[in-house]
Amino acid sequence: MSRPGLVLEVDERTPPLLVHEGEGFRLERFPLGTRVIYPPDSLPGIRDVNRRIEDALLNPLGSEPLPELLHSGMRLTIVFDDLSLPLPPMQAPDVRQRVIEQVLEMAANAGVDDVELLAGNALHRRMTPAEIKHIVGERVFNSFWPDRLRNHDAEDRDNLTSLGQTRHGEDVEINSRAAQSDLIVYVNITLVAMSGGAKSVSVGLASYKSLRHHHNVHTLRHSRSFNDPPNSAMHHSYERMHSLLSESVRVFHIECTVNNDVFPSPFQFLNKREWEWTLKDQAKFLAGKRANDLAPAGARHRVWQNMRAPYGVTGVHAGATDLVHEKTLGNVHRQQLTEVQGQSDVLMLGLPYLCPYNVNSVMNPILVYSLGLGYYFNMYKNKPLVREGGALIMYHPMKAEFHPLHHPSYIDFYEEVLTQTIDPATIETKFEEQYATDPWYIHLYRNSYAYHGVHPFYMWYWGAHALSHLGDVICVGADRRVASRFGFRAASTLADALEMAGETVGRSPSLTYLHTPPMTLADVR
Amino acid sequence: MTDGLAGRTVLLTGVTGFIGQALLERVLSGHPDTRVVAVLRERPGMTAEQRLDELIDKPVFWSWRERVGDDAARATVRERVRVVTADLTDSVPELPDDIDVVIHGASIVSFDPPIDDAFRTNVVGTVDLYDAVRRAGERGGKKPHIVHVSTAYVAGSKKGIVAETSLQHDIDWTTELECAVEARRAVERDSRRPEVLGRLRAAALKEQGKAGPTAVAADTEQRRRKEVDERLIAYGRERARSLGWPDVYTLTKALGERAAEQTAHDVPLSIVRPAIVESSLRHPYPGWIDGFKMADPLILAYGQGMLRALAGIPDGIVDIIPVDLVVNALLAAAATPPEPGSPAYYHVGSGARNPLTLQRLIELVQEYFDEHPLPGTDGRGAIRPRDVTLLSEGRADKMLGTAERAMDFAEKALLMLPSGDRTRGWQRNLYKQGREVRMLRRYRDLYGAYGAAEVVYADSATLALDASLPDDAGCDSAVIDWAYYLRDVHCAAVTAAFRGVPPPVREPKPILTAGRPAPPPIVFEERADVAAVFDLDGTIVASDVVEAHLWARLLDAPLKAWPQTMLPVLRSVPRYLRTEHRDRGEFLREFVQRYEGANEAELRRLAQERLSDVLLRRAWPQAIRRIRRHRAAGHRTVLLTGAVDVFVEPLRTLFDDVLAARLRVVDGRCTGTFEQPPLIGEARAAWVRAWAQKEGIDLAGSWAYGDHYSDRPVLEQVGHPVAVNPDARLYRHAKRQRWSIADWDGDSGAVTTLLDAALAGASQKGGAR
Repeated sequence: MSRPGLVLEVDERTPPLLVHEGEGFRLERFPLGTRVIYPPDSLPGIRDVNRRIEDALLNPLGSEPLPELLHSGMRLTIVFDDLSLPLPPMQAPDVRQRVIEQVLEMAANAGVDDVELLAGNALHRRMTPAEIKHIVGERVFNSFWPDRLRNHDAEDRDNLTSLGQTRHGEDVEINSRAAQSDLIVYVNITLVAMSGGAKSVSVGLASYKSLRHHHNVHTLRHSRSFNDPPNSAMHHSYERMHSLLSESVRVFHIECTVNNDVFPSPFQFLNKREWEWTLKDQAKFLAGKRANDLAPAGARHRVWQNMRAPYGVTGVHAGATDLVHEKTLGNVHRQQLTEVQGQSDVLMLGLPYLCPYNVNSVMNPILVYSLGLGYYFNMYKNKPLVREGGALIMYHPMKAEFHPLHHPSYIDFYEEVLTQTIDPATIETKFEEQYATDPWYIHLYRNSYAYHGVHPFYMWYWGAHALSHLGDVICVGADRRVASRFGFRAASTLADALEMAGETVGRSPSLTYLHTPPMTLADVR
Repeated sequence: MTDGLAGRTVLLTGVTGFIGQALLERVLSGHPDTRVVAVLRERPGMTAEQRLDELIDKPVFWSWRERVGDDAARATVRERVRVVTADLTDSVPELPDDIDVVIHGASIVSFDPPIDDAFRTNVVGTVDLYDAVRRAGERGGKKPHIVHVSTAYVAGSKKGIVAETSLQHDIDWTTELECAVEARRAVERDSRRPEVLGRLRAAALKEQGKAGPTAVAADTEQRRRKEVDERLIAYGRERARSLGWPDVYTLTKALGERAAEQTAHDVPLSIVRPAIVESSLRHPYPGWIDGFKMADPLILAYGQGMLRALAGIPDGIVDIIPVDLVVNALLAAAATPPEPGSPAYYHVGSGARNPLTLQRLIELVQEYFDEHPLPGTDGRGAIRPRDVTLLSEGRADKMLGTAERAMDFAEKALLMLPSGDRTRGWQRNLYKQGREVRMLRRYRDLYGAYGAAEVVYADSATLALDASLPDDAGCDSAVIDWAYYLRDVHCAAVTAAFRGVPPPVREPKPILTAGRPAPPPIVFEERADVAAVFDLDGTIVASDVVEAHLWARLLDAPLKAWPQTMLPVLRSVPRYLRTEHRDRGEFLREFVQRYEGANEAELRRLAQERLSDVLLRRAWPQAIRRIRRHRAAGHRTVLLTGAVDVFVEPLRTLFDDVLAARLRVVDGRCTGTFEQPPLIGEARAAWVRAWAQKEGIDLAGSWAYGDHYSDRPVLEQVGHPVAVNPDARLYRHAKRQRWSIADWDGDSGAVTTLLDAALAGASQKGGAR
């Protein structure tokens, strides 16, 4: 039995604690009395994953076994999560590969000829052949690429089908191949409570027309948090859309969950609680930090980006979307949920090198913002970890670096939108339409490897709830120019940051440090 | 004293000059019954009358205008001054026949003009003027008194005491004049010899070759003209030295005196020879000066802490004379006509009666600046001048020569280095330092002969004139208290411009702790009749033809085949560089042979699938944004490139028109040649002109972007040229022409990440097979 999550109160015996900051990390000595939230220990992985998958497919929840849904002459579309999940990418073989191989085997046995595989990448960039191959495995890739294994193209007007509107007037428009299939098998990995479930098809295969109904400032300000589906306006919208599309196409959902083993050897000790580090771990840390600090930026970037996580699979569930997702959420909570008593004045976050949108790419400042104020800030149930009007202190170098191929609209967003306003609502009304319909960005999204023109806007909306909730944001170690463009302030050290936060929260604030990665979901009571 | 000029008409030349202004002012303010005829040249867009009007606004007239009132002053000018429009170097019109006195102050200002220019102004102009004066005098039945303004330095390289007499020499000025005019013809003819033109063209080709043949031709002609001028300057300098004068200015002034003596043999002639004329002692106000005179740049350079060494002998006499003393002497001489045929000579200087040594001059200037240091231009308090070392002539020349050679070498070296932020920074520094060296050279040339001559100009005739003048308006240099004059009058006057601006009030300024705020996005005026013309390599994309080719090949080759793909290209690089240096068209033709036999469809597929990412990855975000801005404003966007069209396909959607090289294809295979000649340099410019005319594009309102000197012809076509990350030559040109210079950068330079992508692609490809 793994140990549950832990809230540590820093005292005299507490060693300096690990803080991630981009492609680097440090040991920080937090003030006495700081609460540190650790996730539960990594759960043991399932030994025989293939058996578990087979079992799930043959004994699904709220559905006939998969083989009974397959028959010759049918149209089968297998959709899978793109490279934004899991983070970091999984060491080969990816669990999606194992699932897809079994599904394909069953389809072959049933004599299904018309099978296509689609990546549910929505407005994310197209994946390269190599990236797709990593997810589906070589066998599947070689048999289906490129004609029957594709990226979803949300701007291919001829291959989008409108399925009508929900009772809230939300357009549901998804990939035609999927919409016209007899069965969609969705192969998912759920990393955090936000993903999976109703979100999978209704978002993964949708177009801008459909996405704008929930990816907007209003919805996100009312998603508290978006990692707590029952309290998330965003998820209510997903569910309405999902139930509408379920009326026209049957979805067989397969969801997998993974444990917290995000660091490959020799960095596994980074998952351990610091006071349990052995002498060897400490030596490895010192050597690793020194090497990392001294390495040239390019080499360092490569090392971090090439990291593949040796995840253990903690659950595979298949069948009806809602029933499956309930089980999945249970697994996610088992791995990530830590109960915390009360909010604090200041929340401290160490932001790592990776977010869903910079796999094999560059973590640009807008992604840093969305990771801090979007993803991490929203890692709560019930109430935010920080009180309203409190301060957020986050660690990241926040350099103004962009990947011109992957994030072209981000560059322009940074230079031309954020220089004029940082208010999400203003940005939405003034600029979104223009970027979303810009033919050049659409061209790049479809033909190159660019995120859609509207994507940086979604990143900005992601932080809308945090922006209106927080009284102050201070970035430790950040590029001052970048921080100020975001309306934030940069500090050199934690001590300075706390000093600065004093203006907002007083001289004796209560402090909380969310110890992550791996992911920790705080259940704030 | 009686006004010897009352009721007379005085003709003045050179009234816009330093002495001329003072003279005119003094006649207008001090001789109410004297009329003036001013000979003035027209300037483009300005008549001689307008120039006179402009002149009256100058500081020299301020105290007079204040005294009599502006309107009265203007009325006086209208009433008493007549303007004769004439260019004395050209031809002299008929002059009014009521002239009593002529004061001829016009002269060439440069010490080192081409020989024929010097003769035309100082000799021919003088002779023509005096002839016209004599004719006018005959018409009016008068014998006008000619006051010829010369210089004390006509004495040439003599040492010791120089008397106030006619110059002792037997040089025939007409022969010299003829030879000077002939020299121009000979030099012009000589400069057109094929050997000379060939050499000039080779030099122009080296400098301007990349900008195309028209630019080379223009540069060759410019070089020829410059060489002709330099040659004629050398003719002048050497002729002067061979005859015993320091430069052609003093030689021609000397011959001008002789010409005057001969032309004006039957009218009264006074020759006045001032020494170094500087700011006025008393009139119109102490310290009046117009521009900087001979010693002033040195004084300023010293005050600014830039002068560290000076050539000269400490006990040499610097013969300085305030301008009002010169004017007094001139007017006194004008009122005292000698007998026709026996000219009067006057030295106006201080060396004889009140000598000032160079050492003393330096001490006084130092004292002045010790007491009144100049404010620093950067607001960092006052400048503390450095001590000046007096060097012998030889050492000074040697030092300066070394500095000039070093500058020259550094400039050449910089042009050879690849361009970048750092080299551009060096270039800026070099430009500044070069200015300093050039300035020192100029002082050296200017000051060399005049600064500290071991000569004394006797001035007893001038002293006799002084006796006829009132005490406060005399011409005796003994009245000058050098300490007072230099410290309180002259230095203050010379440095006034540097002190005029009150030191800026410096409020504490907010510090931009988070860097400069981003400039607002550029929004272009919406117009459909303008274009934005872009070059590709180096302007939009950080790569070139060779690199694009390499990527194309590497991306398609399995990893283990890389060395054999890369080697032949790398081996050819030196040859390509040589060819490109010579002629870009030739280089492109040579390079395109690599595609011989390539399957065109395959090439297209490859470019589309693999190369487009490389291109977009290497593109500068600012460039893409700029193109899109132009499009948003409705401008026509045009891509002009020597790259093969297949490779620019990914960017096609950004442009309304793309003009790229096309490979010739026969039966689906490339032949290794172009379909049409690639557009390079001036061909592009010609295309742009023709295209603009056909499409009704207003080029003056259009933009062009380029990074290389060969883009200059295109950039010159439009009203808004932008040099993007320019190479050294284009940077220099853009700086001089005040073109905008853009520094575009980004992650695009990161070849390593690209290499990653290529490696990933290559290994994946290998696996797939």
